Amino acid sequence: MSSRSELNIPEPKHSIPGMGVSNNQGLLQWISSVDHKQIGIMYLWLSMVFLVIGGIEIMLVRMQLAVPNNHLLGPEAYNQLFTMHGTTMIFFVLTPAIFGFATYLVPLMIGANDMAFPRLNALSFWMTFFGGFLLYFSFLAGGAPDAGWFNYAPLNQYNYSSSPGINYYCSGLLLSGIGTVTASVNFIVTILKYRVKDMGLKQMPLFVWMILINSFLVLAAFPSLNAALVMVLLDRQLHAHFFNMAGGGSALLWQHLFWLFGHPEVYILILPIFGIFSEIFPVFSRKPIFGYGFVVASGMAIALLAFGVWVHHMFATGLGNTINNFFAASSLLIGVPTGVKVFNWLATMWGGSIRFSVSMLFGIAFLIEFTIGGLSGVSFAIVPIDWQLTDTYYVVAHLHYVFIGGSLFGLLSGLFYWFPKISGRVLDEKMGRWFFWLFVTGFNTTFLVQHALGAMGMARRVYTYPDLPGWGILNLISTIGGFLMAIAVGLLIYLLVRSVRTAPLASDDPWDANTLEWTTSSPPALQNFKQVIPVKSTRPYRDYKRPDDTDWSRKGGDGK
Amino acid sequence: MTQIGAERVEMENKLMIKLVVGTEAMFFLALIMVFVYFSLAPGFRQLQIAELDLRSTGLFSLLLFSSSFTYWRAEHSYNKGNIKKLKLWLLVTIVLGLAFLFGQGKEYVRLLHDHVNLGANTFGTSFFTLTGFHGLHVVIGLLVIGIAICLAAAGDFDNKASTLIGIIGIYWHFVDIIWAVVFFVVYVIPHIH
Amino acid sequence: MSMKSLFALLLSRFTDPSIWRTASSQAEQIRSVGNGFLAAAAAMFFLVVGLTIFITVKFGRKRSGEGEPKQISGNRKLEIVMVCVPLLLVVFFFFWSMRTMSAVMPPAGHHKADVIITGHQWWWQAEYTSSGVATANEIHLPVGKSLLLKLKAADVIHDWWVPALGAKMDMIPGSDNYLWVTIEKPGVYVGTCSEFCGEQHAWMRIRVVAQTQDNFNKWLQSHSTDAAEPTDSLARAGATLFMKASCSSCHRIKGQDANGLQGPDLTHFASRKTMLSGIMANTPTNVRQWLRDPQKVKPGAHMPRFIFNRDSLNELTAYLTQLK
Repeated sequence: MSSRSELNIPEPKHSIPGMGVSNNQGLLQWISSVDHKQIGIMYLWLSMVFLVIGGIEIMLVRMQLAVPNNHLLGPEAYNQLFTMHGTTMIFFVLTPAIFGFATYLVPLMIGANDMAFPRLNALSFWMTFFGGFLLYFSFLAGGAPDAGWFNYAPLNQYNYSSSPGINYYCSGLLLSGIGTVTASVNFIVTILKYRVKDMGLKQMPLFVWMILINSFLVLAAFPSLNAALVMVLLDRQLHAHFFNMAGGGSALLWQHLFWLFGHPEVYILILPIFGIFSEIFPVFSRKPIFGYGFVVASGMAIALLAFGVWVHHMFATGLGNTINNFFAASSLLIGVPTGVKVFNWLATMWGGSIRFSVSMLFGIAFLIEFTIGGLSGVSFAIVPIDWQLTDTYYVVAHLHYVFIGGSLFGLLSGLFYWFPKISGRVLDEKMGRWFFWLFVTGFNTTFLVQHALGAMGMARRVYTYPDLPGWGILNLISTIGGFLMAIAVGLLIYLLVRSVRTAPLASDDPWDANTLEWTTSSPPALQNFKQVIPVKSTRPYRDYKRPDDTDWSRKGGDGK
Repeated sequence: MTQIGAERVEMENKLMIKLVVGTEAMFFLALIMVFVYFSLAPGFRQLQIAELDLRSTGLFSLLLFSSSFTYWRAEHSYNKGNIKKLKLWLLVTIVLGLAFLFGQGKEYVRLLHDHVNLGANTFGTSFFTLTGFHGLHVVIGLLVIGIAICLAAAGDFDNKASTLIGIIGIYWHFVDIIWAVVFFVVYVIPHIH
Repeated sequence: MSMKSLFALLLSRFTDPSIWRTASSQAEQIRSVGNGFLAAAAAMFFLVVGLTIFITVKFGRKRSGEGEPKQISGNRKLEIVMVCVPLLLVVFFFFWSMRTMSAVMPPAGHHKADVIITGHQWWWQAEYTSSGVATANEIHLPVGKSLLLKLKAADVIHDWWVPALGAKMDMIPGSDNYLWVTIEKPGVYVGTCSEFCGEQHAWMRIRVVAQTQDNFNKWLQSHSTDAAEPTDSLARAGATLFMKASCSSCHRIKGQDANGLQGPDLTHFASRKTMLSGIMANTPTNVRQWLRDPQKVKPGAHMPRFIFNRDSLNELTAYLTQLK
């Protein structure tokens, strides 16, 4: 690679002594690390650990629900378990997994050697880590939070939940929330100031674009949650009256503050996924992304609209038809830029030469699952339908189709795609396929029937249910699907642990990919790049490998 | 470090602090919205007028606002390389900030004496939370400026490579602007008919 | 049995209760917009699935070969179509939604509520405004009449939802919500609290008994009377115990010295088919079991455990089960 031109590679201000990825200082080296790759990997493992914990919690829940009038778990235990499951999966599985990939990949994709503020990066990770630790400490301190992951007032008040669980919920989420905010500050500065010199905004990989947009979303959305959490703590500990009706407080105030954060949050969990798939579909279809500009612009549109849709979580709170109509319109509108992306990816595949790697299989499955989740999502923007179906198992089905069929499939696809780069080893494609089919089958078995359960009148968050026609059998199917997913996750962990140790070494560029992270070694050295190839389009590495067919020389290509 | 490198670092750090200030602004926006929401309930306005001392707090607010001016002078001196003046202006800023906190403390003591506290009613709840969080930001600002004075005394700013003074400036002006909004919403609005 | 009726039977086994088994004009209107959406969503879904299958089959590497395909990065016209078609669809549904909303949930205005329903942890209280009758959990409503329900909460947020009757509506402490319902045919419609409200959220089920106006009037008549005077000695002893053992400080029994408002009104308790918001049938055995240890039957319920001896249990059960 002698023809690589010398470029000014943005470096962190100070070099980091003794922090090679593969030196042998053991655990201490990880704990004290400020290297973005190690922090990224720690984020991913953290997410994996919490996936197992959150998974065990929900398997207990599914076992309780397997048959009507079950007495396996009491209501107290059940309510703690489903609350912890939701909180864990959203704040300590999906969020750290996304931030893990971003922390690992953003500097590599923009040709930088680290994040702008490596120490701040470590701080962000450890805030998330200890936030999760604090949340789980509640089990030892006298009871986990039990008011659901959105912790509605006044159920979150001391007189309705006197165990300390909700205090730990608030402090844990505050800590990890501040970590998320500081990480986002770091991403924005890194992306805006640390790109290799000739990478303009229009040559930026879409994953980086989505992380940039996402970071702004985090900065604007999380303060609302943090403020609300502080208020609950003040209510519970110092007898303030924010959400306490007896003292003039308001129950709906919590919902406004929470969903003003909460709805942007669901986009925070899906925009980076759009970024991941916008990297993966082009690579495995051997074509550029269809409509680069549209994907970026629609990402921005989603980010802006995300702050104007929160009331669609509150259509049944009696705010009146005028307010509901306004938010119905904005919610229907946000569905368009979100949904149309599916056609962008289909068009990317159209006319391509598709390689069915496990990563791509997750991509293809995602298109279908996310369409289901997206369409059921649109049904909540149609207020009369929402009035029937909100707070039922239909919602449970919907949110799992977007969080699993959307976010998790994206993360798994990314895992299979970037694993060779991160670990330097190949992830067994054959066993990966077993995992894929088992997981997708289990997922659909679990959640497809829940749409019906909701329409049949089953409310969410019930610890047991009467033996009404069809309820027993559908819940049993759902539980069986849950077990399939659990087995699949077990298989994945086995596959990962085995591959990290013994799998054959991977080449630097196993997928014939397009972006800068593949130009360096697998795994990258402590210093990511010594030189960076010229960047003249969104696919610099392809341009470099195929100088006779570059994007920037083609008429109408992205390089222009 | 080269000159270009230093400029880049300055731009990065400034961008960083602007983002932090932006997200902090969203935090205060939530607290202010909650205050406004509660203030629409009957009886709240009357409490605001009866309990709060517009004149005294207005005076102390002027001191806080003037600390923005003195900080600006400090920054100016620093850019000119006049470290002695820098230290002086920073000290004046701290004194003004402390004076503001003293005023806040006086107001708090009076309110608590009148049995208006965090748990008294929604007025107490939202007033103490909003002004308390602002006060916390003033305290943090004063601590950081204090550190800056120590660094200046230790000779850290003798050459102009540090971006610290400029960064603290952005934060300190932000704290002042937030107070301007809080003061208007909490103290002034009830007097507008 | 013909295939068709077998299918209908299977379907009914799975759709009763459901949002498709509508029994009110409001539910009916919601169903039609729901079905319209379902059709559009199905079309969209099959379009995506069809395209995905077609593309994966047609453009797999085995078919397209190893070479690089044509590098197309966009098509302005196609992108505009991709945005405009869904946009038109959502605009269409927005207007349909808006029309349905104003038909299903017009503002309550100055109308007087027919029934005030209050959600408690974890039971429903119903008061009939015109007659002052109070009942709990099993709520009788007349058919063929446009009814306005006023929904309130006594502690935390609850949510009133009977799928066959249409929209759900939150009950929020400190504010009143309203819901219109025009039931079309008599029957028993089950529903449930649909907002997580604490430990026993699962057992906060609703039974709406919809009756013809005549039958409803009869029911109302019978419930506006004072509680039945106990006739046999066992029940009489139970009545005395009820007043003495502080049951009366939480429960009301009209005509007796029992005016508590914390718990359900028990004036005509024995006329209800189920007890404890649908957890079990209202039988003497169950009543006795409940009185013996409420926390065992419904953990978390706000009914304290009184240590009654066997005789007391029998007396109280006898008293309660004759409150027709």
